[in-house]
Amino acid sequence: MASSLRLYLTCIRNTLEAAMCLQNFPCQEVERHNKPEVELKTSSELLLNPVLICRNEAERCLIETSINSLRLSLKVKQADELENILTKKFLRFLSIRAEAFQVLRRKPIQGYDISFLVTNYNCEEMQKQKLIDFIVQFMEDIDKEISDLKMSVNTRGRLVATEFLKQFL
Amino acid sequence: MNLWYCGVMKGKSTNMSFCFERESPALKQILLKLYHAEKPVQTDHHLYEFGSVEYYVQSSAADPHHSFLSVLTPLLSHWEIPSNGPLSPYTIQMVKDICSESAEVVEPAREGYHLTLKLNFSMIPKSKESEKVVRRIASVQAVIISSQLKEIFRGVDSHGTFQPIKLVYYPREPFYLIRQPQKITAVFPMRFKEHSDVVIATAFFQELMDVGSSAKWAKTPTCTWAPIPPPELRGESIEDLSTNGGFVSFDICSRHVEGKKLEKTVWTLLNFYAFVKNHIKCTRGLIQRRMQKRLESLVEVLHRGAVEEDNRVKRRRGGRYIRKLVSLSKFKTLKRRCSDIVNKIKRFHYRIKIHGFNRFRRRWLTLPKFSSSRGYSRLE
Repeated sequence: MASSLRLYLTCIRNTLEAAMCLQNFPCQEVERHNKPEVELKTSSELLLNPVLICRNEAERCLIETSINSLRLSLKVKQADELENILTKKFLRFLSIRAEAFQVLRRKPIQGYDISFLVTNYNCEEMQKQKLIDFIVQFMEDIDKEISDLKMSVNTRGRLVATEFLKQFL
Repeated sequence: MNLWYCGVMKGKSTNMSFCFERESPALKQILLKLYHAEKPVQTDHHLYEFGSVEYYVQSSAADPHHSFLSVLTPLLSHWEIPSNGPLSPYTIQMVKDICSESAEVVEPAREGYHLTLKLNFSMIPKSKESEKVVRRIASVQAVIISSQLKEIFRGVDSHGTFQPIKLVYYPREPFYLIRQPQKITAVFPMRFKEHSDVVIATAFFQELMDVGSSAKWAKTPTCTWAPIPPPELRGESIEDLSTNGGFVSFDICSRHVEGKKLEKTVWTLLNFYAFVKNHIKCTRGLIQRRMQKRLESLVEVLHRGAVEEDNRVKRRRGGRYIRKLVSLSKFKTLKRRCSDIVNKIKRFHYRIKIHGFNRFRRRWLTLPKFSSSRGYSRLE
């Protein structure tokens, strides 16, 4: 793993460990409602300052925390057109299957490619450390998967081009 | 055109085979049925392919040895159409060559069709070769189409230039032939519906150029891709030249069309669009499969955490439950269950008030008191 990526992921891990101290907290505005405060943003006293971690101009991570929920948004690097469509395809593929992940948001927040929403219930159901491990591994895998996909598409293109040219011989 | 593609890609080892079948599968099936029929069959089939190719197969029980196959196909180009009919003598000769003795060209063709063949199935040898002959007859439309292109390529060596010829094999996807000194350039304007297709196709064209420019493939036609049309196409209609995938050009020299290579080159160029679209479709499939695989592995990581948490909770609860069971005797458990039922009845009583129900409950719903074997019952 590149050292800049390791530092980036470590920074996100540490921030998540600090931020993921969530507790059950009913809505202050509506009786018998219990909603993620990070989404509603009705009471400013329940929100913490958002943290923006940037690896470079193209890659960044926004962590927004509230008393009962945490929202993590990622911007994945897209070096060229092919990476751009592969990233879009892959993240859309994951987003429409968000129920399989429980913590994945169906729609990313504006300016980012994918968002996670972790509530206090998620923290209770799953171990906090495992959840952080998952998010960090997800980030690692996304980068790796996009690179692998790009390589596969190019390799396949080369093979098909060879097959095509063979027909002239 | 009938396109069959088989592609296997596993790791580094690849086994790809492309096969663009020339014959019409439906027509082949009908002809084989007629050929294998033991009794004379009355047939009157109209077949349509791709909306514009039409076949008409006719046979009567009265004349069991002969069947008629008529073909109507849109022509590749209206360049140099002979005055005596839609098909040139060269094309007619090509058709005669593939059919040999088993079929003869009927002139004039049936009204509304370009070509009519009189098939004599009794002339087809009863061996393994028979299917090959039927396949050749079923590929008559491909022969008509490719013969037009062959005619143009026959004069590749001639000097001089001519205006670009617009050829339409796939509807709405024309390509151009430009004669230049010692070569003919085939230019394919590439159009795609989706942006992702454009990107995959562009990556493919780059690879095609890279592979083609290497020394190993020096004998193949030079391939170039450009986002703008070549200057020779200046003056063509703007609709045909407005593309989102750029222009792919192949320079065909005399060595690419000599002998048996002519057939291959013509067929490869005719199917270039289908080839590219097939590559895009298969690449999308590859991406989809890989994404599905990755999704499964990612979900597994998350669920492993959840399962571990569940097991931890169960282990904790399980221990407490066992402790409770050990501490309670059978008698106490039974007693507790009875008291639960009584409490439920009481709750039922408190919630709904029915006049006279209390007396009824005392008389009929009172549960007998359990007494231990060691205890004494009170005598009344």
